[in-house]
Amino acid sequence: MVGRVGAVGQTIRYAVLGAILIGMLFPFGWMVRVSLMESGSLSNIGLFSGSFTLENYIGLFEQTSMGRYFFNSILVGLVVTVGNLLFGFMVAYALARYQTLPNKLLFFSVIVILMIPAHIVIIPLYLMAVKAKIYDSYWALILPWVVNPIGIFLMKQYIESIPRSMEEAARIDGAGELRILFTVVMPLCKPAMAVLAIQVFFTNWNSFLFPYILTQSESVRTLPVGLAMLQGHQAIDWQHLMAGSTVAVLPVLVLFIFLQRRIVSGITAGAIKQ
Amino acid sequence: MRSHKFIAYLYTLPWVVTFLLFWTFPLIYSFLMGFTDYQLLDPEYNWVGWQNYRSLFNDPEFIGALKNTFIFAFGTIPVTTVAALLLALLVNREFKGRGLFRAGYFVPSITSLVVVSLIFCNLYSRDGYLAMLAQMVGLDVPTNGFLYDSGTALYAIMAMDVWMSVGYYMLIFLAGLKSIPDELYEAAEVSGASPMRQFLSITLPLLKPVALFIIVINSIKSFQVFVEIFVMTKGKFDTLTSVYFIYERGMTTRFEFGYASAAAYILFVIIGIFSLAQFLLFRQRKEYGW
Repeated sequence: MVGRVGAVGQTIRYAVLGAILIGMLFPFGWMVRVSLMESGSLSNIGLFSGSFTLENYIGLFEQTSMGRYFFNSILVGLVVTVGNLLFGFMVAYALARYQTLPNKLLFFSVIVILMIPAHIVIIPLYLMAVKAKIYDSYWALILPWVVNPIGIFLMKQYIESIPRSMEEAARIDGAGELRILFTVVMPLCKPAMAVLAIQVFFTNWNSFLFPYILTQSESVRTLPVGLAMLQGHQAIDWQHLMAGSTVAVLPVLVLFIFLQRRIVSGITAGAIKQ
Repeated sequence: MRSHKFIAYLYTLPWVVTFLLFWTFPLIYSFLMGFTDYQLLDPEYNWVGWQNYRSLFNDPEFIGALKNTFIFAFGTIPVTTVAALLLALLVNREFKGRGLFRAGYFVPSITSLVVVSLIFCNLYSRDGYLAMLAQMVGLDVPTNGFLYDSGTALYAIMAMDVWMSVGYYMLIFLAGLKSIPDELYEAAEVSGASPMRQFLSITLPLLKPVALFIIVINSIKSFQVFVEIFVMTKGKFDTLTSVYFIYERGMTTRFEFGYASAAAYILFVIIGIFSLAQFLLFRQRKEYGW
């Protein structure tokens, strides 16, 4: 088809694609531009002209708990990711390899929860967190998400595609079940685990509603929550808000550039869950 | 073998606990709460039966929230789906720099909604960039910017949603396109079918299940719109949506847990219908292998 389209068609294609690309990326460029602008000078600037300064970033970290939010996001993200890798893998292995009736029922529970929107349980989860005295703590941000149906689902699909021969060989050699799980099967699952880790970490990094509802103090709040709260902060203007936004997006963008392939395959494999 | 079985149960334990503690229990809890007048200021449970449900359907605020939610869903989904399909077709063929375009289009959907909403708050503001562009092409800009105006706020948020999610659905379409066997096109080529004919008789019919799937997951997502509303308008200017209504009644000054829980269950039923559709598609999906 490319050959038939010819040079003119090819030029038009690139023009169209390029225009869309600019449209897609412009808001981010604008975000960075505003974050580099001197405070108080919003109008009359171009993307590449006008003043440039880093003072908004310095001010942001000095005047707000941005550093703390950043740390919290990383901490919670890492713990939830590791939890999902470990537990998701264990549950998925049991579901993939031991096909008895309760396991079918269990897998059904995974699928059902995969499809139920979490928003339905905001109020009971909030009340439970208050009553269990984990409200406004890391526990509230971690516990409910440490085993995620998406992880079980992705890992189960993957484990089912691995031949059983190596496990059986290990079993004949007298290896225990735990040993088989962690030294034989787990290394074989590395690609799926990478996809899962990225997906869980990204989702966690960006999530807002639950971290917002389950916390109150700046010392445990995560980056998106802290950022949304900055909006009402008196000393904060657009320049600072955009600096904060840049700080929140940058790690995601950098990771995306390096892990693009895995992210894309994770999306298409796990497209079932938002 | 007996010990194997035991250890298998042990492996599933984390999920069983999570499923019961963080899903089943809250779901039952809020279902029952929906039949009470439980609230923070008067923390006594009184069974009121269907009263909350009856009040909700007579509550103009809730009806308005449902209406806005439907406008949001049915306004964005067709645009997003068609745009995502067009983008997928554009970047499906082999050409130089294809990866760059694919990645670039996808970037908005991996970004935090809070960040995206903040950026668009700025772009949509009275002296923001988009207002400037609109004025350049001779369009009227509301005096307080696009977000502080009942006539434009919801549509402005919807436009942002399309911008943000189109790349994600493009990827799913791409996966669907990849699963169509090349032989079909080769055969069509041999029998002299034009590219348009090929698109209409091969690509489109075979993409139907993917498109349906996209429409269903997008619906489920659209009925849960919250962060955008929270950051950009706080439900004002005719942008109140269902989840924001639940949040406002249940989690802010009023803390009407019973009432808000009933509202959550109405939303649950609506989303449940789409989820069921998704479940049926999910079974079908295996056959198509995408």
